[in-house]
Amino acid sequence: MGPLIPNGVIGEGWDFVIAILLGIAFGFILEASGFSSSRNLAGVFYGYNFVVLRVFFTALIVAMVGLMYFDYVGWLDLSKIFILPTYLTPMIVGGVIMGVGFVVGGFCPGTSFTGIAIGKLDALFFTIGLYVGIFGFSLAYPLFAKFFDSGAMGNVTLTDVTGIPAPYFALAFTVVALAAFWGTMFIEKRVRKNMKQYKF
Amino acid sequence: MNKNYIILTILMLVLAVGTLFLTMKHEPKQIDPQELLQEIIQPTRYVSTDQVAKMIIQGDPSLMLVDVRSIYEYEEYTLPGAINVPLEELLVNDNLLYFGIPGKKVIFVSNDDIQADQMWVLTKRLGYGSTYVMKGGINCWMQTIIDPQRPAETAAATDFETYSFRKGAQMYFTGAGSEDAGSGQVNVQVQRRQKSNVAAGGC
Repeated sequence: MGPLIPNGVIGEGWDFVIAILLGIAFGFILEASGFSSSRNLAGVFYGYNFVVLRVFFTALIVAMVGLMYFDYVGWLDLSKIFILPTYLTPMIVGGVIMGVGFVVGGFCPGTSFTGIAIGKLDALFFTIGLYVGIFGFSLAYPLFAKFFDSGAMGNVTLTDVTGIPAPYFALAFTVVALAAFWGTMFIEKRVRKNMKQYKF
Repeated sequence: MNKNYIILTILMLVLAVGTLFLTMKHEPKQIDPQELLQEIIQPTRYVSTDQVAKMIIQGDPSLMLVDVRSIYEYEEYTLPGAINVPLEELLVNDNLLYFGIPGKKVIFVSNDDIQADQMWVLTKRLGYGSTYVMKGGINCWMQTIIDPQRPAETAAATDFETYSFRKGAQMYFTGAGSEDAGSGQVNVQVQRRQKSNVAAGGC
């Protein structure tokens, strides 16, 4: 049956409507999980709040395992899904920059918007900085262009690169995620014991 | 500690382990493209109609003729002992079980050799060995075995040998009579004896 639009189950023009609905749902869940608070978010790096890790890892493993069952049952053809092309080194560098920005600014791009939605000033400034950064990068793009396009590996998956079937990765990720859930719970408890106050 | 966490953890773990078993979809294994190309250019993948006829007549137990045409064409006419595996039904009805039997030579037959060739490529890609294509297909079979043409008088001796084999095969497959008994009507020349000396002068 799926993917719905490439297979013609849903008309072409509906993708934006679906995007808006998904965006609303995403924003709602982010805010409901407490992602609009930069203290919550930065808590991962200080060890007193691992809600980011738990929410994102839960989403990841549920989606990953769920898609495999969908593929098996025939609701979704995984071979037709768009896979983001991999540029290995630029992606690692980008990830490091993103992580530094996350721990310094206390937001990632998506959560900064949920912060604005509930009227947080730090989120507002973070977003302004975000746009200034985008603008600056666009102007300076010719300087980075060569690095930006280096290490292209095409639209590959881990299975393509390693030859190990996808279920093994799914299982490995699930085990790691579940271990992280329980492990971080204990870290949280120990760190919070030493904190004088803990507020969102 | 929340009890729900434990239940959810176990549930997630079970589901993840479950993927190991359920996604073992039967993906047909393929041979290396290089190997396939190597095999495609080998002329030995063709067998002539004469060779097929010889194998049928001799009752070669390793021979397995596979008619790749549709069931209707198959029912209308096929080679003796051929089984029917239509090209588009190769992957259904356990048809693949016919291939890869040790000691069996599979020969594909179609009207010409195009469909048989396609079938050959498909089975080869799936990794089955000892498959062949009958060169020229059933059209060629009709021309050479069922209705062989006498070579010109000036043709080489081997052509005549082939011809005589084909005539023999023709008899085997059709039950037609030998060439000399062809017309059935014999021109009888009635030779009348000349009457001797009935009135040959006299005295």
